[in-house]
Amino acid sequence: MTLAEGRRDPEELPNRPGFWRSSLNPWTVRTRDNPERVAFVLHRVTGFIILAFLLAHIIETDSPVWSQYFPYSGLSGWALWNHIMAIESGLAFRIGEFIVAGAVLFHAPNGVRLLLAEFFGVGVGRPGDPRPPYVPGTFRAAQRQWLYAVFVVWIVLWLIAGVIIFS
Amino acid sequence: MAMDVEAARRVPPKQVIVRVRRYDPEAKRMWWQEYKIEAHRGMTVLDALLKIKEEQDHTLVLRYSCRQGICGSCGMTINGTPRLACQTQLTEVVSEANPVMTVEPLYNFPVIRDLMTDFMDFFNKHRSVKPYLIRKDKEEQESPKGQYDMYPDEYLQTYQYTNCIYCGLCYAACPVVAADPQFLGPQALMYALRFVNDVRDEGWGERFLIVDTEHGCHRCHFAASCSAVCPKAVDPAGAIQALRSKLFRYRLGLYKRRVSKVVGPPPEKGERIQLPPEATLLPGVDLKKLEEEPVVIKLPEE
Repeated sequence: MTLAEGRRDPEELPNRPGFWRSSLNPWTVRTRDNPERVAFVLHRVTGFIILAFLLAHIIETDSPVWSQYFPYSGLSGWALWNHIMAIESGLAFRIGEFIVAGAVLFHAPNGVRLLLAEFFGVGVGRPGDPRPPYVPGTFRAAQRQWLYAVFVVWIVLWLIAGVIIFS
Repeated sequence: MAMDVEAARRVPPKQVIVRVRRYDPEAKRMWWQEYKIEAHRGMTVLDALLKIKEEQDHTLVLRYSCRQGICGSCGMTINGTPRLACQTQLTEVVSEANPVMTVEPLYNFPVIRDLMTDFMDFFNKHRSVKPYLIRKDKEEQESPKGQYDMYPDEYLQTYQYTNCIYCGLCYAACPVVAADPQFLGPQALMYALRFVNDVRDEGWGERFLIVDTEHGCHRCHFAASCSAVCPKAVDPAGAIQALRSKLFRYRLGLYKRRVSKVVGPPPEKGERIQLPPEATLLPGVDLKKLEEEPVVIKLPEE
């Protein structure tokens, strides 16, 4: 279903914000009392980190197979696997593991909050009669508390993950 | 973003530096221009811009009308935040330590000249969600024989959304509109919910079809900046989530709500209709209890 007729194609509009400006919008717009925007940016960034990790993880765990056809540094099969494992036990990869752990530990609980709010409309409040000081219902509703809980759970679990990874 | 009443009492710095992002469509040139103005207590950003226009540079173009936060014309990006210039006190955006204020046209809107932006796409998106009452009985819709019944709690389901003044601040703050210019935007989606919630309306099927697209309500990722910048606390972010959950139930065949009926002809001039008590009272209000206890209304301190 297309949108109603009569709409102008936005591509034809003059002087509309370009790609870079649009890409920078989550960072450049300043809003007060809006941790949801921080969560939005973090959810995107952590999503990309998890995706990058998953791709690297698939290539790494499949290395004994693909290296038989495309040997890497003269190594193939389990010899390459042991070589990769030796590289991954280094500090740089532990730091990477720590970052991935942080990404997953934020993305998962925040995803639960988003699922509840977006699909079931839970925790976003009900429409009412706006009164001073005009705080939107969504910011007074349960999702805001869930969001703070997500931040707390994230930091605590990330610290625990850091202890496990670096000890 | 609620108006800051306290800010009007504070005294702004004597001299304020206003940096305006200007645009000349003929030369297709954008540049930053700096003005220095003498500020006074109670001065808004709109006052400051009009003072510049009157005294320093009459070529500065901006759009404004009511000067009291009702018309929604003077939306602009002030210090990186989309705000109504007439409702923003200078003391909110500048201080003695930092007397510089930046004013830009609204983000996500094509610029016509200087601070004036093109709302054509914004209004077309608003129009696309059919922002009017739709009844299945077309004859009754065209020539109504009576009024529709609507109870106070049902009215509250739509009232908040009808406060929208079409200022476009939500649209300018939305990171999804920035990434996808075809996204319907917070205002249009909020207005779709305003009519989906309205018991006098029967067109929710049509509206759900319009918003159930890749550029519709599923594109929202709940950054909630629309609600954070809204000057009327309309709360589009909550509305979009409610709309999406209703659409989810509609697709599962579980969406149901009451549709109001025609309740006789409208009253003659001067005639009063006796309404049942439940039609005039909000839920939770007890008349007997109100008679016994005096009502104390606490007004916000001025």
